[in-house]
Amino acid sequence: MSESLDALERRIAELRAEVRRAVKAKENSLARSLRGDLRRAEQAWDAAITAEEPPPPPREPETSLLPIREQVHQALALLGAPTAAKLIVAVNNAFFSGALRGSQLTSLRRDEERSFRSDPYARPYYLCAALTDRLSPARGLLADSTWAPELRVLGPLSPRVDFLTSTTRIAEHLARLAEPPASALRLLSRMAQNIPGAVEGFVQADPATAIRAARAELEVHRAADTAQRAEVAVRASRQLPDVERLFGVAAMSTLRGAC
Amino acid sequence: MNRLDELRGPVPSRPHDARAIAALAANPGCARRALMDAAGVDKDRTARHLGFPAPFGQSQFAITRGNVFEALVKENGCAELLRLLRELLGLPVAQVGYQDVESVGSHLRHSHTRTLIDRAARENDDAAVFYDHPLFSLEIAGHTSYLEPDVVAFQLGGRFRIVEIKSFGVIDGQAEPEKVAAAARQAAVYVLALRTLLADLGHDPERVSHDVVLVCPENFANRPTATLVDVRKQLAVLKRQLARMTRVDRLLEGLPQGLTFDLAPDPDGVPTRSAEDLAGALSQVPARYAPDCLSTCDMCMFCRDEARGCGSTDLLGRQVRDQLGGVSLMTEALGLAEGTVEPAEGQEEVARLLRLADRLREECLN
Repeated sequence: MSESLDALERRIAELRAEVRRAVKAKENSLARSLRGDLRRAEQAWDAAITAEEPPPPPREPETSLLPIREQVHQALALLGAPTAAKLIVAVNNAFFSGALRGSQLTSLRRDEERSFRSDPYARPYYLCAALTDRLSPARGLLADSTWAPELRVLGPLSPRVDFLTSTTRIAEHLARLAEPPASALRLLSRMAQNIPGAVEGFVQADPATAIRAARAELEVHRAADTAQRAEVAVRASRQLPDVERLFGVAAMSTLRGAC
Repeated sequence: MNRLDELRGPVPSRPHDARAIAALAANPGCARRALMDAAGVDKDRTARHLGFPAPFGQSQFAITRGNVFEALVKENGCAELLRLLRELLGLPVAQVGYQDVESVGSHLRHSHTRTLIDRAARENDDAAVFYDHPLFSLEIAGHTSYLEPDVVAFQLGGRFRIVEIKSFGVIDGQAEPEKVAAAARQAAVYVLALRTLLADLGHDPERVSHDVVLVCPENFANRPTATLVDVRKQLAVLKRQLARMTRVDRLLEGLPQGLTFDLAPDPDGVPTRSAEDLAGALSQVPARYAPDCLSTCDMCMFCRDEARGCGSTDLLGRQVRDQLGGVSLMTEALGLAEGTVEPAEGQEEVARLLRLADRLREECLN
């Protein structure tokens, strides 16, 4: 195959020289026919070079046998804190099948709520909402119904605490793996860049350093955050029926003691 | 106020957004714009009907890019923004509170913003750092406009700061001056709205910093970087312009009776008034066209055409116009230069310079 390519390249070079000579000698009709030959030779070369490459095997889109809610649950179990859809997809991409898309998560919470309302506690777990200090569902966050109530509510410090917790959990999981996937290391580096002392500049983050830095900052916030969360959780368990304790209150008028 | 309704015609007044309010500050001397904005006339439709649609408007790609970048800066409880503020302003590590105002539902956002800001101003220590999706209001010529800044930051020396997230790149420490200026004008609107809110709640309005935090992507990557931008000048211009709008009566005094910019739409909303008639009505109000209008005002193409039609010196840009103070037409300026027109009182200095320029040009050409 490569021999014919070599022959074609020689032929193309010769033809080019001949075209130049013909143009110089002002032999227009000869030049035109030579250009035709040249074009054909180039086309043959193009065909030969693509034939040399074996056609890439048709890429199977990676599919996971797990349903979407199982995959989300898997990611949440790793992260251990209420998480936005974007991070769930990133974690799924880094550690698991990588088949999850952000658009698949949009109606997930609504479907889970409908299922719970029609047949409460029929499933071992539900993907539910995280509750804000006004006991309304926090925008865009998913949580696991089996978590402690304190973990499923948010105070003002909780977004940061949850971010630090998720980073620690990702780093811990990475440290356990013998061959950590590159995409997971990238994810950790990106998150660690926003934690003081976790990573220097743009280099790849080291899981052990990241865990140390995240825990150090976590220590600063933990006491205040735990107290705030406990207060909201108590309020939720006192005021709300089961379904709203998981999925939040939609109407604002019924709330007392909020703000 | 009735006179303004008459100018607008029987359609609801158009609310102002931050961009529109900021554009007001870009050309404070234009009576046409001041009047049309005060009356809440839909300038875009007017310009369209006149056959001079404005050439701008944000592209869908730019909007998507802006939203993606904003989401990146705000994800995980404003983690990126927190890093930037820690680096830029030395925010203490313990201060990480985050409040999403939107969690109450959109209809309560404005009152919830008020409650949260009031509580933050009262109890300094316990307040959150970030207020995401706040909603402010600002009274513009008798109408309330609602404004949505990107983020309001607090707890930096007990002062509030407006954070403005923009997706244009800061390359090697430099950004396009025009875009920064536009962002600064827009941020000034938010600063003013927040100051008004604080004054309204009985706090010191000066607790809103005049330095806004501008967050942009750095170089060619998507990594955000933050800079402080001083918006004192933009604030001053904006305040003056808004004061003019409330004193719009003076502009109204000189107008002929029965003047209106009403498009007289039929039940389907199609304007029935002829374009010439409307153009005639508009030309009763003097405009002050400058080339910068092309990037801020819906009426720009109409005003430019008018300025071209009468050979106005405004077309040459603000700097030339100011140097030709008192000479409003190009023919007049050329006449003065060539000595065919006698300078009127007060024009002697300009005429002397123009003649000198004319002589220099002749010498160069010969």
